[in-house]
Amino acid sequence: MNIPAFVWLIAVPLLASPLAYLGGHMGRPSANRRLNPAREVALAGLIVAWAPFIGAARELHRAGQISYSLGTVTLTLDGLALLLAAVALALGTLVVLYSGPYLARESGQEKYYAMLTAMVGVMVGLGCAGDLFNLWIWFEAMAVTSYLLVAFYREQPASLEAGVKYLVQSAAGSVLVLLGIGLVLAQAGTLNIAEVRAMHLPTSSLLATGALFLIGFGVKTALVPLHTWLPDAHSQAPSGISAMLSGVVIEAGLVALLRSLSALTAATPTWGSLLLGAGALNMLAGNLLALRQTHVKRLLAYSSLAHIGYMLLGLGIAVYAGETTGAQGGLFHLLNHGLMKGLAFLSAGALLYTLHIAAGNHNPLTISDLSGAARRYPWPAFTLSLALLGLAGLPPLAGFMSKWQIFAAGFQTHNALISGLVIFAALNSVLSLAYYAPLVNAVYRQELSDTVRLGIPLPLAMNVPLLVLALAVVAIGIWPDLVAWLTAPAGAALLAAFGT
Amino acid sequence: MVTWLLALTIGLPWLGALCVWAAGNKHPRAQHGLAAAFSVVAGLAALALLPFTSDTAALSIPVGGIFGDFTLTPDGLGVFLAIIANVVGSLAVIFSIDYMHGEAELGRYYALVLFFIGAMAGLVLCGSLLFMFIFWEITAFCSYALISFHNDDPKAVAGGIKALIVTQLGGVGLLAGALVIYGYLGSYQITDFLAQANTLPPGLLGVIAFGSIVAAAAKSAQVPLHTWLPDAMEAPTPVSALIHAATMVNAGVYLLARFYPAFAEVTGWTTAAILVGLLSALLSAMMALVTDDIKRCLAYSTISQLGYMVYAVGVGALFASQFHLLSHAVFKALLFLGAGAVIHTVGTRDMRQMGGLGHSMPFVRMVFIIGGLALAGLPITNGFFSKETILEGGLGHGPRWAYIGMLIGAGLTGLYTVRMVSMVFFGEANPRQRAHDAPPAMRISLSLLAIGTLTTWLLAGPFSRLLAGSLPFHDLHPESSLAITTEIITATATWLALVVIGLGLATWLLRDRLAGLRRRLSPVASFAADGFGFEWLNQQIVRLMTATSALISKSQTGHLNWNMAGIAGALIVVLIILAWSVQ
Repeated sequence: MNIPAFVWLIAVPLLASPLAYLGGHMGRPSANRRLNPAREVALAGLIVAWAPFIGAARELHRAGQISYSLGTVTLTLDGLALLLAAVALALGTLVVLYSGPYLARESGQEKYYAMLTAMVGVMVGLGCAGDLFNLWIWFEAMAVTSYLLVAFYREQPASLEAGVKYLVQSAAGSVLVLLGIGLVLAQAGTLNIAEVRAMHLPTSSLLATGALFLIGFGVKTALVPLHTWLPDAHSQAPSGISAMLSGVVIEAGLVALLRSLSALTAATPTWGSLLLGAGALNMLAGNLLALRQTHVKRLLAYSSLAHIGYMLLGLGIAVYAGETTGAQGGLFHLLNHGLMKGLAFLSAGALLYTLHIAAGNHNPLTISDLSGAARRYPWPAFTLSLALLGLAGLPPLAGFMSKWQIFAAGFQTHNALISGLVIFAALNSVLSLAYYAPLVNAVYRQELSDTVRLGIPLPLAMNVPLLVLALAVVAIGIWPDLVAWLTAPAGAALLAAFGT
Repeated sequence: MVTWLLALTIGLPWLGALCVWAAGNKHPRAQHGLAAAFSVVAGLAALALLPFTSDTAALSIPVGGIFGDFTLTPDGLGVFLAIIANVVGSLAVIFSIDYMHGEAELGRYYALVLFFIGAMAGLVLCGSLLFMFIFWEITAFCSYALISFHNDDPKAVAGGIKALIVTQLGGVGLLAGALVIYGYLGSYQITDFLAQANTLPPGLLGVIAFGSIVAAAAKSAQVPLHTWLPDAMEAPTPVSALIHAATMVNAGVYLLARFYPAFAEVTGWTTAAILVGLLSALLSAMMALVTDDIKRCLAYSTISQLGYMVYAVGVGALFASQFHLLSHAVFKALLFLGAGAVIHTVGTRDMRQMGGLGHSMPFVRMVFIIGGLALAGLPITNGFFSKETILEGGLGHGPRWAYIGMLIGAGLTGLYTVRMVSMVFFGEANPRQRAHDAPPAMRISLSLLAIGTLTTWLLAGPFSRLLAGSLPFHDLHPESSLAITTEIITATATWLALVVIGLGLATWLLRDRLAGLRRRLSPVASFAADGFGFEWLNQQIVRLMTATSALISKSQTGHLNWNMAGIAGALIVVLIILAWSVQ
């Protein structure tokens, strides 16, 4: 039987993962720092995975939707799954590239690369899950791979604490999801999303199930007030992992949430308004929490809350009013946020590495540490500023374009309440400048902080991922149509799933 | 041809920005030279657009999806403002060669200035609302980055961030307007909107019209969103001259003038514009009267003069508002650069420490006085003719109370101008000040601007033809320079204004005899020095946001038990909401 390309897209990283682990164990990286088998294998695996990605994108373009059944398990690639795969694979590849110098002195690298590669494969799989139980399995697998990566610095109490909080809260979320799945199974007798959708369940159990899904997946998606694990986890993880967590893992949670709710379309407008409400809450809380933050990585973590809010606004408009622009805009923002937040975390991480980590110091990077960083480290300072301004929504950077698309969708509904929400989101965007801008100012000071003065030179290899992401953020900002081939089918797939 | 010129007008400064940046800070001479060369050629490209003005888009690129078409339209209004941006821009860059000599980070400075010039030209030439908004935001970013160019100075950083946030806050008004237009008409093209504005429901047109006033007030520093401009004076002085006097702050007036045909019929809109203009003109004139910082004094006078332009739009005197915009751009750039020459040599902005500088800086004194005459509205400068056109329009078409207010404003302008000039250049010399006159590159910019201040009013006729010829939705009629100037000289409004300005000047000369009056007015003066409470309001808003942030930060306890309680609580709340929605 002919196996479609997207199955390989899931399989290649999953196969590369144990190989990376074994490679890391056999060729000891400490003997010769130049060669690091675990990383080499992981990188090769992810680069090879781009071939099935291109194949899958082409097949999808031709067919609109591709399914593959293995026994009773059916995997389906649609536009939404392809978008998630693109973000996961792009960030994953760059993070592996980046982590070489970043982790050069750490032990346990083989576990790091194995988990990272597996996480990429699992996230692609999550996007393709066609029934609720498999969705949950992929979702748990993603969580398992990420727990260990969050607590990678296992000698650091703060890192372990973050890992435990993440573990416990995610587990609580998973239990709720499982209860929801149980309710569906009891009522419908099937877990296939398309079949459940066609069953017309009684309203009360439908709503209870939706609530369980919303809160359960919402923990991973960092909906306020379920987000409390996020600032610790995203700031304590190694910076490459912070980029993955903020840039794609919480978004994968969002995709899982949307998929699960799409089984319950009888109450679509209700889900739409809940998403809109959650979006407003996330924007406001995220921005206010970030406002007085002096730790750079925590600040970026809180800003992710706000950005989940913008995505929810777009997606909520799509689900509530059946507005294609909203779906496309929300998912466009998912993609852009992945690139911009990835760039922000990797740039901040490059500075954290040269200023703290390389000296074996695990203190958090503060804004005052970065004073004058641009004079010694012009490139990461520039890319950090670019990422921050993009996140703030300044044109001509990617973040502006996707926010605009979301906002335009809001006004296209001709609904006063939604238009008001858009204005609220725009005001939030202005508020966010109050914490992004001072960081940029600090970086471009003339006076060097003591940490900058004592920092080591930046390893050249770290610059490559920064360059790629910076170019993408600018290019998409100037020409948003560049990625329409990803976002348009994704938006269409989402709307089709909700049947609006 | 015209497509190329448009591309060069916007693209050359941007290309120059890249080149200066690439040249690197180790080659300051190359950076000065490249910046000057690119900005001058861009200025010439903008001037070369003059014969090609038309009301149709010369360049249209489909961007795809909901982003519409990127269009550039070289109509009279756009070309005229692009010329101001690029020509004054090149003069500010030339001035910077001396002013920024020996400064660190020249690459960042020039790159941002050139990036700004291109964006400003784009903003006025752009025919698409979305891209106009994009350029609008880019100019705000450049303004922020240049105000806080000296990032080590906390005041500069605070000023930059304040400018960014206030203008962006106002920008939300423009964003809402653009989105309503797209949401209902399906197009971002300004011409489509002007043609179909009356098909929109009146309430929505009101949203667009008042949204634009909010945006314009923020960008053009009008009351109550003006507080960022005085604090923006931490920027290097050529930047203040270019961005915060001659170009970016005009964008608000431009916006109102551009959309005037659609907004004029909206209930209360013209009154709102008149009121905003009047309050800005009067309050900031009073603030200019009590400040001792030369740049803040000029900043308040900018707010005040922009108030005249907004008022002119409000009374329907569109030609007058744009004519004054032209004059103001030239003479205010002259005044700022003149102040820059002074600050550069004496090293302070405090006018109390200046005094008697006329002896050591005769050239700067001469050009500054020319600029001062224009600001006060005295013949035979461009400021005289354009301000009189506004007042004449106000007397003819506007409400009487507003006209009287603007007349008082003209008197106050005369008063604070003469106060400023005498504090800086006349009176007792400060024995510790060792000043020298302006160096050559500064002189080039200053003399060209001084000549402009004395002559641009001669262009009134061609300027009116330029606007009337390519703005089909604006009801403008071309007139000859002679007709315009004769009308001004023979108008009652002019003589009335001259008397009031004369009274203002006399007040300064008789200030010792009027000491009693001054004492009685001292509460007003101290209220003005405090910025009439607007600054207090600003600080309260910042305090409120910080306090809310502190309050909400308490919810991040770091205790797992509370975190779990949050999950349980959220589930219960969602279930309650859903149960309630079923009933």
